[in-house]
This record gives sequence, C-alpha cells and structure tokens, in this order.
Amino acid sequence: MRAIEERTGFSFPPTAPYSVTAGKIREFAAALGDANPRFAGEDAVAPPTFAAVLAADAWDGLFTDPELDLQLKRTIHYDQKFAYARPLRAGDVVTATLTIEKVRVRGNTAFITVSVALATVAGEHLCTATSTLLHTWEDES
Amino acid sequence: MSELAGVEVGTELPPITVTLTRASLVRYAGASGDFNPIHYSDHFARALGLETCIAHGMLTMGTALRVVTDWCGDPARVLSYGVRFAKPVPVPDDAEGASVTFAGRVTKVSDAVATVTIDALCGEEKVLAAATAEVALA
Repeated sequence: MRAIEERTGFSFPPTAPYSVTAGKIREFAAALGDANPRFAGEDAVAPPTFAAVLAADAWDGLFTDPELDLQLKRTIHYDQKFAYARPLRAGDVVTATLTIEKVRVRGNTAFITVSVALATVAGEHLCTATSTLLHTWEDES
Repeated sequence: MSELAGVEVGTELPPITVTLTRASLVRYAGASGDFNPIHYSDHFARALGLETCIAHGMLTMGTALRVVTDWCGDPARVLSYGVRFAKPVPVPDDAEGASVTFAGRVTKVSDAVATVTIDALCGEEKVLAAATAEVALA
C-alpha cells in the first residue's frame, strides 16, 4: 500500500495567508488575454480560475511531504473543478486548506483527488477547488 | 446583478478563437507561478515524450471561460466551473503558435441557473472534455 492511500481524508494545515492585489489580478487577466472591465481598477474581482493559483500553493504540501513520495514533475493535472461562494477580490487575504479526498492506485500510477478550500483569514468561505492529479512513480521493475 | 433575460436550453454563446504562442505561455507562467519547464522548454517537454511545449491546462481552462464571461458580462455570475484536460495543446516555437477555438451553448436552465457546456478545439482535437460552467441568471 502506498503512503498516500493511508492518508485519505487527511487535511494539511492552511497555507500562509496570500494577499490578493489589484495589480496581481490585472497581471493574471492580461495573461488570459481577458479585457473584462471587472478585472480592472482598485475594486477588481479576480478571474474565476485565479483560484487555481492559490490552490496550487496548497498542492505544495503534497509534494514536500517526504512520507508521500510524490513529485510535481511526475504529475499530470487530470481534471479541475471550482465551486464559488463569491469571486476573489482585491484586498482579500486568503488561506488554502488541502484535503486528500480520494486515492486510486493501480501499479505505479495513482489518481489522487484533492480539494482545496479557500477562505479569508476572517473565516469567510470563498471557493472549493477540486482536482484530480495523475501521478506516476518511477518503474521499480 | 440585473437579470440575464431570454436564456434557454440551446442558446449559443459567441465563439472565440485564441492564438497561444510561446510568449503566451511565458506570460501565464509568470502570472500564475506555474513554472513547470514543459511549458517553455522543448528540452524538458521532450524528456517527457512530448514533441514540443504544451500550454498550461489552466491557461486553456481560464481562456475557455472567456466564452462565458464575455457573454454574461459579470464574472461574479459564475457559480461553478469544471473541465477535464482531455488533450494537451502543443505550442510550437514559431510565429503562428497554436490556434484554439472555444464555443459554448446552454444545456440546462434550472432555478435561475444556466449550465453552459464549452467546446474547445485545437485543430481536430477536443482539448477539454466535460467543460461546464454554472451561471447565475438573476
């Protein structure tokens, strides 16, 4: 049994707070080529998929845990879902908490489903980002 | 938010066609913090058996949602959004890059929420599967 299977249901501690800024939102929207006026100005909201930037911060917990034996470079992003309570906004200070939801191992590959809950430091829930990651361990044969 | 009127099953959203070049990938890497080298270096892409660099899945996913937000106007209307990354988008190191066309249509309307299904085509390949977004109509 792989270590990751035994950690199903486990939640990592929240990430360090991330301050969402108007400048970062503008930069991210520009990278998507998205000129929506709601992404500009001091009261900007973030593009919905900006939540992945914060979720990916929490993924680091998986790849830096020595027991889990997982490597980002051996991982493929298989699917991604977001459920929003409201958009992220400039001024939000956000933490991300990752939970290992489901693990299916076959041979040297695993489908790992993780959810990342984004919330403000005041405790307001913002978004749940759920991802399936396909991880391949090096062939042991 | 004002009501988004006249939306019914079958409503077609205006499609968009986007060109992704190596510059797009470098820009997204910087903006997102995803510096996986398979998105900017052929050397590392080939080491994984790819012919050339591929776009970040999240860049394709984020760009695809423009079909929905350009249509509904306010991104705060997006209640949920999910995709499966069915095929990579190869982005050659040339002036043309890769062309991806995104289209959307309303596939369900219930309780003032429209479900939009998005198609994403790079050449003949469907690069996203099960791409759906829920949009608040009121």
